[in-house]
Amino acid sequence: MLKRSFHAPTLSAKVVLGLASVVLLGAATMMPARADIKIGFQAPLTGPSATDGKSAQIAGQMAVEDINSAGGVLGQKLELVIYDDQAKSDQAIFTANKLIGEDGVKLVVNGSYSASGRAAAPIFQKAGVVMISAYGVHPDITRAGDFMFRLVHLGPPQGAATALYIGKTLGLKKVSTITMDNDYGQATMDGFLEAASKYGIEVLSKYSYSLKDRQFGSIVASVKRDNPDAIYATGYFFTGGPLVAQLRAAGITVPIIGSQAFDSEKFVEIAGPAAEGTYIVDSFDRDRKDEALQKFFTEFKKRAGYAPEGVAAITYSAVMLMADGIKRANSDDPAKVRDALAATKDFPTLEGSLNGFNSLHEILMPISVNVIKDGQFKPAGEITDLSAFAPPEK
Amino acid sequence: MYYIDLAVTGVSIGCMYAMMSVGLTLVYGLLRILHVAHAAVFALGAYVVVLVANATGSLAVGFLAAIIVTPLFGMAIYRLLYEPLLKYRPDVPMIASVGLLVLMQDAFRIVFGEQGITFRSTFAFTTYNFAGITVSAVQIAIVVTAAAIFAGLHLFTTRTRIGVGWRATVSKPQIAASFGIDPIKVRYLNFAIGSALAAVAGGLVALLNNLVDPGIGFVVSYKALAIIVLGGLGSVRGTLVASLVLGLVEAYGTIFIGAWLDRDAIAFLALIVLLMVRPQGFTGARTA
Repeated sequence: MLKRSFHAPTLSAKVVLGLASVVLLGAATMMPARADIKIGFQAPLTGPSATDGKSAQIAGQMAVEDINSAGGVLGQKLELVIYDDQAKSDQAIFTANKLIGEDGVKLVVNGSYSASGRAAAPIFQKAGVVMISAYGVHPDITRAGDFMFRLVHLGPPQGAATALYIGKTLGLKKVSTITMDNDYGQATMDGFLEAASKYGIEVLSKYSYSLKDRQFGSIVASVKRDNPDAIYATGYFFTGGPLVAQLRAAGITVPIIGSQAFDSEKFVEIAGPAAEGTYIVDSFDRDRKDEALQKFFTEFKKRAGYAPEGVAAITYSAVMLMADGIKRANSDDPAKVRDALAATKDFPTLEGSLNGFNSLHEILMPISVNVIKDGQFKPAGEITDLSAFAPPEK
Repeated sequence: MYYIDLAVTGVSIGCMYAMMSVGLTLVYGLLRILHVAHAAVFALGAYVVVLVANATGSLAVGFLAAIIVTPLFGMAIYRLLYEPLLKYRPDVPMIASVGLLVLMQDAFRIVFGEQGITFRSTFAFTTYNFAGITVSAVQIAIVVTAAAIFAGLHLFTTRTRIGVGWRATVSKPQIAASFGIDPIKVRYLNFAIGSALAAVAGGLVALLNNLVDPGIGFVVSYKALAIIVLGGLGSVRGTLVASLVLGLVEAYGTIFIGAWLDRDAIAFLALIVLLMVRPQGFTGARTA
């Protein structure tokens, strides 16, 4: 009796345990359905390009939080898997392989520069991973294949749009050009030089400088001798700031037109009063009456301690677009997301409405111009003639 | 007018190069170490100047703080990094030096932020016009400071006991030691003065750019090395000449090849050509 009564509960306990393990197993196999959708994210968080990487990282995280607090995508939360690529190709390849192999990521937002994005692109393409390059401007990124997308205007279209703006909108014909001699600076300038004659622009002289340089004395003296109607310079805000300050210090008063990456409040801080009147082409319109933009602006400033620049806005939009692609594909399967992204139509980014992508997955979107007025970025028109700066189809 | 504008640029950049390279050549002359981390000292100087100047509202206080802090830092590099490694081959301390530079650059980024710091003072935007030639106040400051410093150094090394001892140790260490000069003290003095010079140069470059960012030491890290090679490693006079020559070559080089090559490329092209003609450098008295 005693023995029996002792055995009975043991048996039932075994059954309970067995049942429990079945339930647990079931739960475990069901887990992936409820797990987060991982989005791989590469940005230069250390090294000389960390300025932009940091902004991209903060913006990317903000986008994910905004998506998740609004209920996530397809009932799942998004998760950003972040790696530092130092804007270097070797680090980009290494972390791309890590994202694919270790993290099992199928979708990637690249918040990094041309050199690293261009190195990572073929690896993601081969693995069938969708990548949106937020602001990498090298043509090779989208040429890597059909899983690649770019959310920024290529350098040459930016340059072509600048030629239209200087020659037609501003009506200035004699231009001296100053090129930053990296991929971005040169590609953008090439687009300008190619389109310049279409608008009757005569290029008086061409100068180039290195990304590391901050002293432009000899270029400034030469530009002064050229006596142009306008100066077009490609560069980043940390080269553009000293450049504009030194041009103005030499008594040069003609309009200066800067490329997209001048777009930062730090530019105004560095160049001080000399920044006044500088035009920035493909800069983001901070005054646009858009609730999402204003909310982003306030929140970013709170987190970063400085105002968001173009890089931040575009990276935020890239994560948002990826989420939208998943939603429209109704799946996180990369091939389906790719098709959904390719079919994007009138997607609201922080920088305005994205018309869509061309066959090479380059964006079709108007370019806005800002001018510095009283130390603030003020809208100075929009270049809407998309045919004047059509991106390549292959 | 154009050529004078270029000369102003060339001379002011040359003076700046001189201030940053002299410390480097002195360290090489004394210890046979390529003190790559000199660039970190230069950057530290720039940061101290901008931070103290913004906090106190006085550029003078900023520079004063920099020439107090950086010599201590320079001497610490010698004591903690180089001295323990002197018993190894010369490339060992050099690699340690490169490591320190990389470490410091990211340390600056982490501590002071990626975005860089600008001056509150409007001195950076002050310019003077002399009959159509515009010269900025910072350019004048660079030339005047460099002239004063090198005149002072010349007096120090020819008129004072400690200065003569220093010079003697750099050129003939054994004989100097036998005359009772403490070579270790000379090493500290060397790092202190070299670092203070780099800090002044760093502060002036920061003013010229109105920006101190973690990458500010880049220029020093490679161009100053080129200058001391050109000057005939270890020679102060050669370094001064090489600095001015390089400043002017960069300035005038822009006229001819500015469309295809940037300033750094022009500088290194000139370096290669000059070294082919004069492999021993400008002075060539004391090549390693």
